[in-house]
Amino acid sequence: MDSFQKKFIEEATDLINNLELAVLALEQDVKNQELIAEVFRIMHSLKGGGGMFGFEDISHFTHNLETIYDEVRNGNLPVTEDLLSVTFSSVDHLRNLLNQDALNNEHIKKNHEILLERVKAILQKKDTLQVVADEEQVEEDSKSKLQTIYIYFAPNESIMDNGTNPLYLIDELCSLGTNSLVFPRTNKIPMLSRFNSSKCYTAWEVFMVSDVNLNEIQDVFIFVEDESEIEVKKIADFDVLANENFIEKIQNLYQKKNHFDPAVIKSLVKDIANQKKSVVANVNEKLKVFTKENIISSIRVSSDKIDQLMNLVSELVTTQASLSLYVEENQVYELNLLAENIENITRQLRDTAFSISLIPIETMLTRFHRLIRDLSTEFNKNIEFITEGAETELDKTLIQGLTDPLMHIIRNSVDHGIEPEDERIKKGKTPQGMIYFKAFYSGANVVIKIQDDGRGIDLEKVKQKAIDKEIIASDAKLSEREILDLIFIPGFSTAKNVTDVSGRGVGMDVVKRKIDEIRGSVELESKENIGTTITIKLPLTLSIIDGLLVVIGDTKYVMPLNLVNKIYAYEHETFKNAFNNIVIVDGEQIPFYYLRDEFEIPGTPLEVEQLVLVKYEDKKIGLVVDNVVGEYQAVLKPLGKLYKNHEIISGATILGDGTIALVLDTNKIINEFSFKN
Amino acid sequence: MAKTILIVDDSESIREVVSFTLENAGYNVIIATDGTDALPHFDGKEIDLLLTDLHMPNMNGIELIREVRKIDAYKRIPILFLTTESQRDKKVEAKEAGATGWIIKPFVPAKLLAAINKVMR
Repeated sequence: MDSFQKKFIEEATDLINNLELAVLALEQDVKNQELIAEVFRIMHSLKGGGGMFGFEDISHFTHNLETIYDEVRNGNLPVTEDLLSVTFSSVDHLRNLLNQDALNNEHIKKNHEILLERVKAILQKKDTLQVVADEEQVEEDSKSKLQTIYIYFAPNESIMDNGTNPLYLIDELCSLGTNSLVFPRTNKIPMLSRFNSSKCYTAWEVFMVSDVNLNEIQDVFIFVEDESEIEVKKIADFDVLANENFIEKIQNLYQKKNHFDPAVIKSLVKDIANQKKSVVANVNEKLKVFTKENIISSIRVSSDKIDQLMNLVSELVTTQASLSLYVEENQVYELNLLAENIENITRQLRDTAFSISLIPIETMLTRFHRLIRDLSTEFNKNIEFITEGAETELDKTLIQGLTDPLMHIIRNSVDHGIEPEDERIKKGKTPQGMIYFKAFYSGANVVIKIQDDGRGIDLEKVKQKAIDKEIIASDAKLSEREILDLIFIPGFSTAKNVTDVSGRGVGMDVVKRKIDEIRGSVELESKENIGTTITIKLPLTLSIIDGLLVVIGDTKYVMPLNLVNKIYAYEHETFKNAFNNIVIVDGEQIPFYYLRDEFEIPGTPLEVEQLVLVKYEDKKIGLVVDNVVGEYQAVLKPLGKLYKNHEIISGATILGDGTIALVLDTNKIINEFSFKN
Repeated sequence: MAKTILIVDDSESIREVVSFTLENAGYNVIIATDGTDALPHFDGKEIDLLLTDLHMPNMNGIELIREVRKIDAYKRIPILFLTTESQRDKKVEAKEAGATGWIIKPFVPAKLLAAINKVMR
């Protein structure tokens, strides 16, 4: 596949996502002209792009849909339930069609034909069907006579010999317009050795918006027209420079090629003319969502490149640690300053590189909106999906790992949680159920909460099921919390019947495992008839952590610094004589784990040892180590598959002197050792 | 600092109109009646623009332009000449001699300033 097609697929994927958003919004507000225009515009772009890059099926498929939405736009067709349903199905089908061989698949082909028929049926309902307006016919804003003019000015090399300053001419030219963009064409400038400062090597290309006639513009160059190449031509009957997209595009073109290809400019202008055609005056809030995208200046980078950058930054962090260590050992004053500087810059570089690979949770939400819409239609339930904190950003690998578990949780909420309308009314609840999605930062974590106001989890039922499945003994006395935790145990599922949605053999145990894989934790709370809340806590990133470097015996360990509360020094006797592994710290009873023993490290303990207080849920727990070295930025490397079952170690990191330190997962350590004891 | 313009014309009325207009626009103005009278002004002093008529006794405008362009210090100053619509070939000759641009007689003050503005700021 050539790179243009790849580019088209990327673009089309965005377009289809936007289409889905727009149709979802349109469903709520079927008269909204902005949204109708947006849907039309997307259909139009898909059709055009599809034809150009060899996706004939897409082009063919969107043709009639485009016509329909054009009719809707002109008020000749209403937005009906049927139309929305066809459009939703088309969104999915379009995604399939991005694979060029899609129609070789029987199933997809059948679907394709059915959808085409349905689209045709809608069109035929309208007797006075008109053909889509010719692309060339752009509705002009009759009030403004502004036009966009392209000027090319290439002066003779010796133009400055007779006292002409070409820059003055450019200035004068720009003064004739309301807005202008000037691009110097610099490709004729020779190397410095052959450069003659009295010669003019530059040519200029100017895009100008103005209401003056072309002769007046030509007059600017009156003194130099004989010895210069001058081209003045109108490229549009409207203000093209008002379109940020255009500006961005020509700036990109300029950076790539240093000059403009008239054909490319023409097609760009045509695109805008088409967009302009579909833009209607009243701007409401929903549209702002779409325009916002155009304003943000951003570039696409392949995720491989970002991974590569992250890897390099990781290496840099490791190398920088070596440097710091060397400086510390050798005490060279000048080098010390440099090393500190590099440390500072590395830290900033690390943070910037991180922020690049962060993407907002928003990117997942459309899928959830859609899921809830489809499921509520299927189960005939009335559900409102409320989201908060969609702008919260997460590492892209985390988002990838998170989508499936979240989909599953939401499916559960719709299927098992929210009751049908009549049942809700009987219970005295609002007829419309609610699923509330909230994401927010909490320290070095991101927390995602999914809450529903459904029937909640029946604890008795869960307990009974666990007894039936022999997960617990029939006389086990469990707290509410412990019963809820049963749900996460592999092989547990409360659904009575296997439905299409949940209960496909993927239970909450898989959700938990998947979230564990990305070093997150999941918690479940539920009140009968009030609802269920699932809280997922995730680290901001996976690859580099700020850690505390500690030593036990000959081995070095890193603890996540964000979990470390305080560090105390105690004599070994204190721990040896402690009753029930509890020490009194600042008048508080603190349970502790003596890591030298827990890790079974041989050797004689030191006389004075360090007690590191770490946060565990809402408690403080002590971990006893020999020595604390200091803060350390640890680049987390996986241990490899042989060690993947050692949950208490989340990875390893290479220290400045080349030795290896193990990165401890303190939560898991406390979990594991508290069960053992 | 105000820019200095040298006006060369054998017609007193033209000189007056031009210098009045330019002085009002904030320029320093020096006056000469023909080429031979004008040339001694190019002795190294600051002259930012030369505005000359073409038809003059003693040394005409085209000769003056050629002489001025021979002096290093004034090789690149803008030079405007006054001409009439009919003298098309004179324009070419003057440009070849090194003139930057022209002003067509008769002119209104605004046209004069606009032409100067084209070549000097």
